[in-house]
Amino acid sequence: MNAIEVSGLKKHYGTTRAVDGISFEVKPGEVFGLLGPNGAGKTTTVEMIEGLRAPDGGSIRVLGMAPQADPKKIKMRIGIQLQTTALYPRLTVREVIDLFASFFDGRKPVPTSDLIEMAGLTEKAGTRSKDLSGGQKQRLSVALALVNNPEIVFLDEPTTGLDPQARRNLWDVINRLQKRGETVLLTTHYMEEAETLCDRVAVVDHGKIIALDSPESLIRQHFKDTAIEFTVADALSLDMLKTLPGVADTKIKDHVVTLYSADVPQSMAGLLAMSERKELKFRDLAVRSATLEDVFLKLTGRSIRD
Amino acid sequence: MKTFINLYIANLKEYARDRMAVFWTMAFPILFILLFGLIFSGSIGDLNFNVGLVAGDSDPASAGVVLAFKSVPIFKVHESRDLEAERAALQRGERDMVIVVPDNLSQSIAEGKASNIEVYYDPSATTTAQAGLSIVREVLNATERRIHQTTPLFTIQSKQIQTKPLRQIDFIVPGMLAMSLMQLGLFATAQPLVALREQGVLRRLGATPLPRSTVLASQIAFRLTVGMAQAVIILGLGNLVFKVQIGDNLPLLALIVALGALLFIAIGFAIAGLANSEESAAGIGQMVNLPMMFLSGVFFPLSFLPSFIQPIASALPLTYVIDALRQVMVGSAPTNPMGTNLLLMVAWLAASAVLAVKLFKWES
Repeated sequence: MNAIEVSGLKKHYGTTRAVDGISFEVKPGEVFGLLGPNGAGKTTTVEMIEGLRAPDGGSIRVLGMAPQADPKKIKMRIGIQLQTTALYPRLTVREVIDLFASFFDGRKPVPTSDLIEMAGLTEKAGTRSKDLSGGQKQRLSVALALVNNPEIVFLDEPTTGLDPQARRNLWDVINRLQKRGETVLLTTHYMEEAETLCDRVAVVDHGKIIALDSPESLIRQHFKDTAIEFTVADALSLDMLKTLPGVADTKIKDHVVTLYSADVPQSMAGLLAMSERKELKFRDLAVRSATLEDVFLKLTGRSIRD
Repeated sequence: MKTFINLYIANLKEYARDRMAVFWTMAFPILFILLFGLIFSGSIGDLNFNVGLVAGDSDPASAGVVLAFKSVPIFKVHESRDLEAERAALQRGERDMVIVVPDNLSQSIAEGKASNIEVYYDPSATTTAQAGLSIVREVLNATERRIHQTTPLFTIQSKQIQTKPLRQIDFIVPGMLAMSLMQLGLFATAQPLVALREQGVLRRLGATPLPRSTVLASQIAFRLTVGMAQAVIILGLGNLVFKVQIGDNLPLLALIVALGALLFIAIGFAIAGLANSEESAAGIGQMVNLPMMFLSGVFFPLSFLPSFIQPIASALPLTYVIDALRQVMVGSAPTNPMGTNLLLMVAWLAASAVLAVKLFKWES
C-alpha cells in the first residue's frame, strides 16, 4: 500500500488556484520531494495531506485513510514539522520533547535521549529553546516531528533561513531518517536539497506538477548535455551562438549565457575562436553538468529562484 | 487527563521562568497593597482641620467664641491677629479654614445686633469645606444658646451599625481585588493567547492529536491558578499587615473569587477571538477595562454616580463581583442580595463562554 496517494487535488483562494489538479504517490520508505519556487502551491498541498487545510477538490489517502475523515488517527501515526519554532520558549529541549511525546497517548514513545541524539542536540538538552540558534531550533522541530515514531514524516522547507553548515547538519539528520527506512515527504525550493536528499522529486509550478521522477532521471531526460556558462557585458543575440558546433540549446538571463552542448571540446573551441575574432566578449567561463534548476528553467522559462 | 496535566504544568513552568510576567502579576499586587495600606489604613474618623482664628481685640465675648472653637476635637486652632498672614497660609494649604471674629463683639451682642463671622475656605476642597462649615455653624449655634441661656431641645447620639470599625482600606480592598481579577482576564489572558496564535503555536499544537478542548482547558486552569494566587497575596498580605477584613466565610469568599476570575478569563478569551494582533487585544481590553474601573464601585459607591449612568453601572459584571466581595469581606450594606450577585456572575460567565467559543480563532 502506498504511504500517500493524492489525486486531482485542488485548492483555490478566491480566483487564485493555489493547487490546480495535483496527483502523485509516495511509496513506503522513500524520500519524496516537492520542489518549486515560493508560491507554487507546495506548502498548501502538504497542509491538505496533513489534514490542516480542507481541499476544494480531489482525493487524499494517507496510510489508507482520508485526512478529513480520520484526522486524529492519522495524526497519531504521522510526524509534522512546521515552520514555527516559538513553542514554549522557556522550556528546555528535553522538556519540550517530553511534553510533545505526552500528546501521543497510546503510541509507543521514542526515548527522548534518542531523539536528542538523532537531532544532534545532546549538548543542548538542558538549554531553553529560546536560547538555541536558528539551526538548532530547526533540528528541534524535526525532533518534535518524530516523538511518536511516525510512519510518515512531513518536512516543510526544513532548511529555509539556515546557513550552509546548519543546512548540512540538517541534511545529515534527514539522511539518518532515510537509512532507518522512514517515509519522508519534504517541500523545498533549493534544488541542491532535492537532488541530494530525494529518491523522487515532483517539480511544482503554479499549482501543477510539471515533472515527476528521480533527480537523475529528470536531468538525463531533459539534458543529455552539459552546460557551458559565461557572463557577457552587452546584450547579445543568441543566433550567433546557435551556430557553434555541438550546441543543442541556448539560454540567456541577466547577462548570463548558458549553452547546452553534447560535445564540450568542440563547442569550447568554437567559443574561443569567436572571442579571438572579437565577435564575442565574455568572462567567468564555467562548465558544469545540468541540474534540476536547468530542468525547471527549460520547462517553465523561469528560474526556481524567481 | 494526563495530557491536560502535562500542558498545565508546562504553562506554569513557562510562566514561572518569565521574570517580568511573574513580577507584574505577583509583585505588583504586593507593592500596591502595601502602598494603599499605608495611605488608607487610617480610620475614617481621622479628619483634621487646620483652622486659622483671627480675633482682633481682647473682648470677653470674642474670647468665649475662640474658646468654643478651640474645644472642637478635630479643629487644630492657630490663633493670630494678622488676617493677611492667615489668608496667605490658607492659600499655601497650611490652613483648611480661616475664621475671623469681629471686634467689639460684646457690644454688638448687648445691642442685639447680628455679628458677621467671616469664614475663608478653599472651594476646591468641597467635602472638607462643607464639613468644616457645618461644624462652624454648630459651634456658633451652641455658643449662641449658651449666651441666651436656652437649653437645646434635641440632642444627637450617634451609633454605628457595624460591630467592626470600617476604614477606607476595608472599602477599597474588595474593589482592588476585583479589579486585579478583571485585569487578569482582560490583559493577562487575551494578549498572550493572541501572541500564541500569531506565532503559530496553536497551529503547531493542532497538528498533533491533542484535542482542542484540552488546550483551552489547560490555558483556563493556568490563568485561574494565577488569579487565585494573586487573590491570596492581596487578601493575605492585607489582612496580616493592615488588618484588612476578610470576613468569616472563607469558602464563600473563595467561590466568589474563583467565579469572578473565570468570568473575566472567559471575556479575555472572547477578546482574543476578536483581536487580530496583540495591540488590538490590548485596545479592546482597555475599552472594557476603563468603564468598569470607574463605574463599578471600585473607588467610590455607585450612589455617587449621576442617576442616568446608574442603570448601566449596575449591569456591569464587575459591579456584582465587587458587591459580593464587599458583602462577604466587610459586611457592607448590599446593593444586591448575595444570591442575585452569584446568579448574575454565573450568567455573565455563561454568556462570555459561549461568545468565546464562537469567536475563538486557532489561526490568524
